[in-house]
Amino acid sequence: MGDRLTQLQDAVDELAQQFVACIHYIHRHHNLETLGPNDVIRELPKDAEQEERKLPTGFSGNANRQCVVDSHPADVFKAAQVELAQDLITKEQQIEYLISILPGLDNSERDQERNIKELEDELKSAEAQHQEAIQEKKDIMSNLDEVIRSIRRP
Amino acid sequence: MADPNENQEMQDMDQITSTWPHPPPFYKDFTADNLARLADLKRERAETSNPPSNSTPKPDSKDGDDLLSQRLTGLPPNLSNLQPPLPPDEGAWRIFGDPYRLVQPLPKLEEGGEIRPVVANGGLLADGERDDKHFDRATVLKRIAKSLLLNFLELVGVLGQNAMDAADKVKDIRDLFYNFHHLINEYRPHQARESLIATMQSQLDRLRAETTAIRDSKEKVERMLEGLGSLKIDQEEVAATVTGGTGAATASTTAGKGMGELEGEMWGMLVDPAN
Repeated sequence: MGDRLTQLQDAVDELAQQFVACIHYIHRHHNLETLGPNDVIRELPKDAEQEERKLPTGFSGNANRQCVVDSHPADVFKAAQVELAQDLITKEQQIEYLISILPGLDNSERDQERNIKELEDELKSAEAQHQEAIQEKKDIMSNLDEVIRSIRRP
Repeated sequence: MADPNENQEMQDMDQITSTWPHPPPFYKDFTADNLARLADLKRERAETSNPPSNSTPKPDSKDGDDLLSQRLTGLPPNLSNLQPPLPPDEGAWRIFGDPYRLVQPLPKLEEGGEIRPVVANGGLLADGERDDKHFDRATVLKRIAKSLLLNFLELVGVLGQNAMDAADKVKDIRDLFYNFHHLINEYRPHQARESLIATMQSQLDRLRAETTAIRDSKEKVERMLEGLGSLKIDQEEVAATVTGGTGAATASTTAGKGMGELEGEMWGMLVDPAN
């Protein structure tokens, strides 16, 4: 947790990551269609696919990997799409909320400077009063000390 | 700052395992005596140079001129390190091998390459002064956030139709992200000032609460003392009757009662001022 601006920046970065994640999901798990009567869906050997999965993301075998599609059933795919879309909307709303609570949106720079100057003056006077009060407290305590010392047993 | 630290590091090469370098050796000069002497010297110097106006040097003024005028030259060696060094002339210095600058301007959006700015002229007025009241940052930011979503939707659509056309859309999204971050970073000084205001306000509140608390306890003790004063008089009267000799039994009981009360109040007061 940082300040609000940092939170906002993190949220925007997360939104960008979600964009990538969405495209990645659709890219990996869409269903396969035949475009003409002569097309056949090529069956990849299972072990080759698993080999593919072991490779770390961003590995150089990109061209090869693009062929690998792990089709999800239509209902699962649809539900996942809906969830991703909802997550995107949620994140966007978070961003808007964070924007609306940014500190001092109504203050211009001049307002702020005036405010700081006023506070500085008030702090100085408060500090003086504080010292005064401490001094009074010291006086009254020494007074009390005297009284206590002056008490004798009758 | 750089030189003493580096020297110190060189001297302490054998202790290179410690997390932080040792403090520069002149930290021992910062004694209460030395600081008081420096303050005296400053006052003297100020009085001799320009007598009436500047007799009480303002410790809060941070103007460069004031700082310069208050710098004393020809100090004894044990005092020379008590004054902060001047800011570097050319505005740049090195510390721990890294270069630093006094002014660190935010790089302009256009300088970073072919990023298209969303807000023309970065929200600056013609005279270069920012006008936050007319330039509604929050609205712009919200608009960019919505544009991001819309552009993403378009990107997915384009990818579905013809993936070769997606490059332009990706570029749009990238520009929007850059713009968003740039606007946020521009706002950082504003937030810093805002935090400063909040900190000062809380400090002020705390100080005032403390002052009232002290005043309250002081008044309490005062009232106690007054009460004690009247009690004492009672007791003296009682003591007088006791020494008078007549009706010793009744008098001693009242005296005993008076003592008990007195002790109770005294204990109460002994506890109170500590609060």
